[in-house]
Amino acid sequence: MEQLSYAAGTIVTGVFGCVAWFWGSNLILDWIWPSRGAHAGTNILRANMVRPWLFIGPAILFLAVYLVYPVFDSIWRSLHDAGGRAWVGLDNYRWLAGDAKFRESILNNLLWLLVVPAAATFFGLLAAQVTDRIRWGNIAKSFIFMPMAISFVGAGVIWKFVYDYRGEGQEQIGLLNAIWTAFGHPPETWLTIPFGNNFFLMAVLIWIQTGFAMVILSAALRGIPEETIEAAILDGANPWQLFFRIKVPQIWGTIAVVWTTITITVLKIFDIVFVMTNGQWGTQVLANLMYDWMFRGAPDYGRGSAIALVIMALVTPIMVWNIRNARREMMG
Amino acid sequence: MVTEHGSAARARRIGRLVIYGSLIALAAFYLMPLWVMITTSLKSLDEIYGGSFIGLPRSVTFEAWSKAWSQACIGTSCTGLKPYFVNSLMMVIPAVLLSTGIGALNGYVLTKWRFKGSNLVFGLILFGCFLPFQAVLLPMAQVLGKLRLSGTIPGLVLVHTVYGICFTTLFFRNYFVTIPDELTRAAQIDGAGFFRIFFSIMVPAALPIMVVSCIWQFTQIWNDFLFGVSFTAGDSSPITVALNNIVNVTMGRKQYNVDMAAAMIAALPTLVVYVVAGRYFVRGLTAGAVKG
Repeated sequence: MEQLSYAAGTIVTGVFGCVAWFWGSNLILDWIWPSRGAHAGTNILRANMVRPWLFIGPAILFLAVYLVYPVFDSIWRSLHDAGGRAWVGLDNYRWLAGDAKFRESILNNLLWLLVVPAAATFFGLLAAQVTDRIRWGNIAKSFIFMPMAISFVGAGVIWKFVYDYRGEGQEQIGLLNAIWTAFGHPPETWLTIPFGNNFFLMAVLIWIQTGFAMVILSAALRGIPEETIEAAILDGANPWQLFFRIKVPQIWGTIAVVWTTITITVLKIFDIVFVMTNGQWGTQVLANLMYDWMFRGAPDYGRGSAIALVIMALVTPIMVWNIRNARREMMG
Repeated sequence: MVTEHGSAARARRIGRLVIYGSLIALAAFYLMPLWVMITTSLKSLDEIYGGSFIGLPRSVTFEAWSKAWSQACIGTSCTGLKPYFVNSLMMVIPAVLLSTGIGALNGYVLTKWRFKGSNLVFGLILFGCFLPFQAVLLPMAQVLGKLRLSGTIPGLVLVHTVYGICFTTLFFRNYFVTIPDELTRAAQIDGAGFFRIFFSIMVPAALPIMVVSCIWQFTQIWNDFLFGVSFTAGDSSPITVALNNIVNVTMGRKQYNVDMAAAMIAALPTLVVYVVAGRYFVRGLTAGAVKG
């Protein structure tokens, strides 16, 4: 209870602090350069030059403290030893290059990168196309979309249950094993099958992200000019041609956006692996490996930071591409 | 002529079959886990172990729900999810309000009070949207430590507000750009001040995007796991962390029904938001997709 009231107190202070800053600084500005009297014109001009900074200032300060500084701090740390005191140069990176777990993580991340964005976009496109054409499509859509509302942790918990294993001869409670044994196979511990288990983890993310791809792509499909489709039909195009030759080429831009968005999610993938296997049985990924080094056992901040920067380096090209796109679109 | 007609009809029938077939397969893949989660949470443990995991519960019982809510054990404390649910509420409400409010102000300043360097600021904000949080995790933990906020709910509020500002600013900026500058300029000439314009012109016009921003932030923060698991421990954990801990209790017979009920409880707020305001949720996604 004490902690709760402390939390509430801090939060109220924070909120009031923000409000007080915005109101107060604005009042002071109006007092220094009042917008009436002899110099009203110049005063307004001057005040207007300062004013944006009053409001955007705190945001910039916060972003600097919480975005820019941490990135540089991580770089600095990745060049130091476990405790962050002694300079070790590129030793942490050299160690990474030789570490088996790191190599496994990189390979798994690449595997995720190849499979998940492609599968989620493909299924999303399929679902968008199919649901637009049938009567109860909207209901189907809302169900396919529903996993988007569930946290990755929640999804991990649910799917762990789907993959659940019990010894041979017992009733299988996990959905997958129940189906599998119904076809006469012995039950499997899906999450420990080497290499294959990665795909069982990926299925969870595909399950979540398809709804996202579907919603965005469905909007794009509906935005395709009717004339192009009619013309193709008049020319005798069959449904497949219509879809792959007429519709898909017209929404390439959106497909690329969906693909890259999911790609960024995949590079940072953490929760699902953490909850379901915690990187055991050959399923380690970079983000979870980093968490291991930073927060588990004897923390090594140098190595942890080095891994974090590898993740960042992988995300950067996609990030730059996306920011460029976004700016072009918005500045338009 | 007749045969051609027949083959065209057959092609159409095959097309239908493919459509319905793929739809049913997709539906099974997407629905089965949800179905299993809901039905399992309503069964008794004996019934589950008796091997009827897929059908409807023979007798509906909310025992697992009440257990997950108030009795399930995390480590040695058997409090259920309730206190962690409260934690998440304490975290999510101020963080959503703060980040949406500041985002609205930022968007307003960035579009209607253009200033030198506003492009740079905007670039910085976009950068914040894409940055993998792993790269800031450790320094962030230290900043929180210096502020004496590590391991507390206000600390999480701060983190989520700061990183939320990037998204909310983007939402509001893109929305306010469509409001003609003449409107604000005319108001200024009429003597309206900074806040007058903001509250009488921008805010009323921005209600839809405000809903979008709140919903987006709510689901993002509620579902967050990385910050929760990195910055908190024990009593101050948000619900996602507690859920993981409940499920990972290894002692005794695995209580599948409690696990599933816990997963449902943790997902309930966002599911409700999605069901009630799905339209806005989708709009947030569409707006968010531009940024990535």
